Amino acid sequence: MNKKFYILFTLVCLSFSLIAQESWEVIAEENDNLSIIMFDEELELSGQIIYDNSCKSCHGNPEKADFSKMLPEPGDIASESFQNQTDGSLHYKIRIGRGAMPKFEDALDSEEVWNLVAYIRSFNKNYIQKKPNLEGIVIPKFSLALSFDENIDKLVVKTIGDDNNPMSEVELKAYIKGSFGNYLLGKTLTNEMGIGYFNVDAKMPGDAEGKLEVIVKARKGYGSAKTMQKMIMVQPSTFESAIKGRHLWSTAKQAPIWLKVTFFFTIISIWLMILYVVFGLKKLKKYS
Amino acid sequence: MENINEKFATIEKDLLAPVKWGKKSIIWMGFLMVTLVVCMFFYYQQIRNGLGVTGLNDFVSWGIYISNFVFFVAASLIGMLISSVLGLAGSKWIMPISRIAEIIAVSFAMVAGLIIISDMGRPDRLHHVFLHGRIQSPIIWDIAIVLTYVAVSVLLLYVPLIPDIALLSKKQNGLPRIQKWMYKILSLGWANHPNQYKLIKKYFKLLAVLIIPIALAIHTVTSWLFAMTLRAGWDSPIFGPYFVSGAFVAGCAAVTIGMYFFRTSYNLKSYITDYHFDKMGKLLVLVALVYVYFNINEIIVPAYKLKGGEAEHLKSMLFGHDALMFWLVQIGGLVLPFILLLFKKMRKPLPSLIISSVILLGAWFKRYLIVVPVQQHPYYPIQNVPDSFMHYTPTIAEIAITVASFVLFLIIATVLSKIFPIIPIWELKEEVKEQIQ
Repeated sequence: MNKKFYILFTLVCLSFSLIAQESWEVIAEENDNLSIIMFDEELELSGQIIYDNSCKSCHGNPEKADFSKMLPEPGDIASESFQNQTDGSLHYKIRIGRGAMPKFEDALDSEEVWNLVAYIRSFNKNYIQKKPNLEGIVIPKFSLALSFDENIDKLVVKTIGDDNNPMSEVELKAYIKGSFGNYLLGKTLTNEMGIGYFNVDAKMPGDAEGKLEVIVKARKGYGSAKTMQKMIMVQPSTFESAIKGRHLWSTAKQAPIWLKVTFFFTIISIWLMILYVVFGLKKLKKYS
Repeated sequence: MENINEKFATIEKDLLAPVKWGKKSIIWMGFLMVTLVVCMFFYYQQIRNGLGVTGLNDFVSWGIYISNFVFFVAASLIGMLISSVLGLAGSKWIMPISRIAEIIAVSFAMVAGLIIISDMGRPDRLHHVFLHGRIQSPIIWDIAIVLTYVAVSVLLLYVPLIPDIALLSKKQNGLPRIQKWMYKILSLGWANHPNQYKLIKKYFKLLAVLIIPIALAIHTVTSWLFAMTLRAGWDSPIFGPYFVSGAFVAGCAAVTIGMYFFRTSYNLKSYITDYHFDKMGKLLVLVALVYVYFNINEIIVPAYKLKGGEAEHLKSMLFGHDALMFWLVQIGGLVLPFILLLFKKMRKPLPSLIISSVILLGAWFKRYLIVVPVQQHPYYPIQNVPDSFMHYTPTIAEIAITVASFVLFLIIATVLSKIFPIIPIWELKEEVKEQIQ
């Protein structure tokens, strides 16, 4: 009975370690995928911010090998096992995930994943970025113009090509910048007039003037554009300090009057009685 | 008449006899002082290196210092129960033990304030509490009331002492000159004048009434330090009376222990008799029953609903991490002792001493159970922190500093009982007079 159990146990352990060691195949097309933007310090920095928020809890501090104890090991991003992979492989694995490694495709867009790759590469001094072969490929160039139609509560994004003509079929993504992350307004394609519309919820909290900071990212083929703009789109918000006025939760100077009166009245009356007794005891001398 | 004078003479002889520094008391004080110095070395370490020398951390930031503080405040409430509540209600039997209760109260209250300072990482900034404190914070209320309570307790001890101090000043020989001089100053020109008696009786009555709300307030505010925060296990509207009723249990046990030691080492067997132990035992049963009642409320009401954070806290108490200590304290330190005290034989001096010691020990650990485990179950889950943050174990430094507080208590109590008669002589004389007439 015992022997059987041990054999079974060993087999289970073995199968686990096999899963752990099984290599992570990446399809050839993804493996050869390359960033069309050159990695620079700015990209590395935005990559680091994403890394600290989303990756560090398992992968630990780069070069310290202080990753979480898990099976399979998350590994250190500065290690060879990471650096020997192609850019495309890293990009694919972050997006798709496997087992305990989450799928980041829904949380991060492709550019953000490239920023992460840039950050991972910043720990490899021998790394030379491969550029994609763009021969014969036309990279569309265009700019974005934003406006707000207050009659229909829609954000209007117009794409204008190099030739000053509107550009259709451009992928647009619009966000509202928030304190702790961006709020996705939506995704759309521009129409023949080069225009994309986004619904804006009028109840969103704006600043004191009713302004929201809009971020629009556009992409067509290898061409991309991004713009940020503060626009009046919603009702102005009035901000009031939570500790304004006399409250139990306010500052010392803003203590409620009733509390001050009760506290000081109680303490002072008790001490007056104490003093009454202390000075009263002097009267004992009169009879001596 | 001769009879009465003889009796008075015996009383004075018996009760003034312990008021001197004998060999035994000097050895005892020396032992206490050496222990204190050793413990203070650890406090020096804490001052130099900060609270890092303790086991306190991000989650359990109130450890045995604050548990000990709650215990000290609790035990100090007994002066009010015995001298004021029972005294004003006309109980005669408390007379020979009232001063013991008051000395215990004053000593515990004085040290309680110091324990708070030992929990501060920067005691040099103590005055900031007064300069920048928010009056909305129960901590400010606590400091105000602790200081007031100490003042009233000292007066409550001092006022009925005046006639006895005058007696000491007149009759006690072989004392250091400075002590004689102190008696003279403190006796305030006492001359046994009837008006003087009238006056101190009036002031004593005033103080005895005054101390009842103050004592209730000091322990209620101490309970509010916990109950006013949003934490499962502390967020309870009955914390005030729960603390006060627990305080009387600890205090009665402390007084019983004190009675036993004073009785044996000061040769007061004919003054503190089996009758007094019997009475104290009964009082202890009463207050323990009230405390058990509050314990049942405090646990059954949230345990019936088992909502969110409360559930986790209660499970760890009832059958989890803290279960062993919890049941030892509740059954061994509270229920079993009070059941034993229901039997007359168990209310004799020696069994009383043993039972009271168990209760007092249980009372200390009960404060630990109130203060510490709650902090290990915050509403916001503990995540991504070193393993050591999730547990709390007091360090040697912390234990030594806590021991120092007990040593300091014993020093104050010993000094007070060595320079003043432990049983009110003039009140005893009055009683004897009444009995004869």
